[in-house]
Amino acid sequence: MKKVMLLTIFAALMMISSAAVAQTTASGTLTVTATVTGSINLVFNSDASGLALSSGAGTNAATLAFGNVSAFGAISAGIVRSTTATNFTVSSAVDVLVTKTNSASANYTLKAQLGTADAVNTWSVGGVAVTNAAQSTLTATGTYAANSNFPVAITVPFTTASGTLISNTINYVATAN
Amino acid sequence: MLKKYISIMRSAALASLLLCGASLAAQTTAGGVINGSLNNTTGISIQFDSDPAGVTLGAAGTNAATANFGTVSAFGPLAAGVTRPSVTAGNFTVRTIFDVQVIQGGLTSTTYTLTANLAAPAPIGMSYKVDAITLTTALQTIQINGVYGTDIAHNLDLVILTAAPGAGGPAVTTPITTTINFTATAN
Repeated sequence: MKKVMLLTIFAALMMISSAAVAQTTASGTLTVTATVTGSINLVFNSDASGLALSSGAGTNAATLAFGNVSAFGAISAGIVRSTTATNFTVSSAVDVLVTKTNSASANYTLKAQLGTADAVNTWSVGGVAVTNAAQSTLTATGTYAANSNFPVAITVPFTTASGTLISNTINYVATAN
Repeated sequence: MLKKYISIMRSAALASLLLCGASLAAQTTAGGVINGSLNNTTGISIQFDSDPAGVTLGAAGTNAATANFGTVSAFGPLAAGVTRPSVTAGNFTVRTIFDVQVIQGGLTSTTYTLTANLAAPAPIGMSYKVDAITLTTALQTIQINGVYGTDIAHNLDLVILTAAPGAGGPAVTTPITTTINFTATAN
């Protein structure tokens, strides 16, 4: 009889104990979903042999300021100048860095286009003439994750008045191949 | 004839008064007895709530919610409520914020401990963090002093390798789903 009583009490205690433990925890599940897509990114960097970018180095919106330039006068370091009988050209090295993520693309195509038409001066990027009319292909086999130098050049006629400000925007588009 | 009419009218009036009286009497003597009983048991519950700064959870307010980051990439646009705290050469992180609310009843406990684990190993190229703690299939402590009865915000980070599929990176253009188990334990 005594044993039965003890067993009953023990069983009751066990039940109370397990109930208490079960009641002091709570569980939940959070199901997380995401869809990963490949992407590429383009930034401009200053090239060691060219002018330092005035602003925006390391971003996709940089500024390249040649400063005062002339056909025969002093010229800033980082600017390469050539002169003909009727005009002169100034150019500076500019690095373009394209990176890819989550993509098996082997290389990229880089195109450029002037933001607004320039009927007086001639623009080129990487040796390729660039106008406002259409995109120009700078390369069809760009290498990812490497700074590639695409010099920006402006050819100015001798007829341009001194003190004339020349400014334009060049839009670049890199497309994964 | 008139006397008979008066007599009938008196009878009718008396009957009306009696009925009225009975009705009034019934309205003033209503009563009853309820024998109530309950078993007051202690316990806690957990629920997930949408955070104003995060994505809107599916089944918010329950203990089985869903968080959809939508389409994510290292450089492309992200859905509302998703941010991209970091992009490195090797990986990028996308983040959302969700709330956990734990409610207790009948306990003397004032705080709770929150643990979490992945229901299955993380998919290739993916890892999951809650409040900067990288989750595995083993339980990990997220918080040791959670306050009951209030939404507590937690960061949920997906760290995604930038490698291409087949080269260590995650599958692309297909939804990747993972379940995180949370457990709140009264302190």
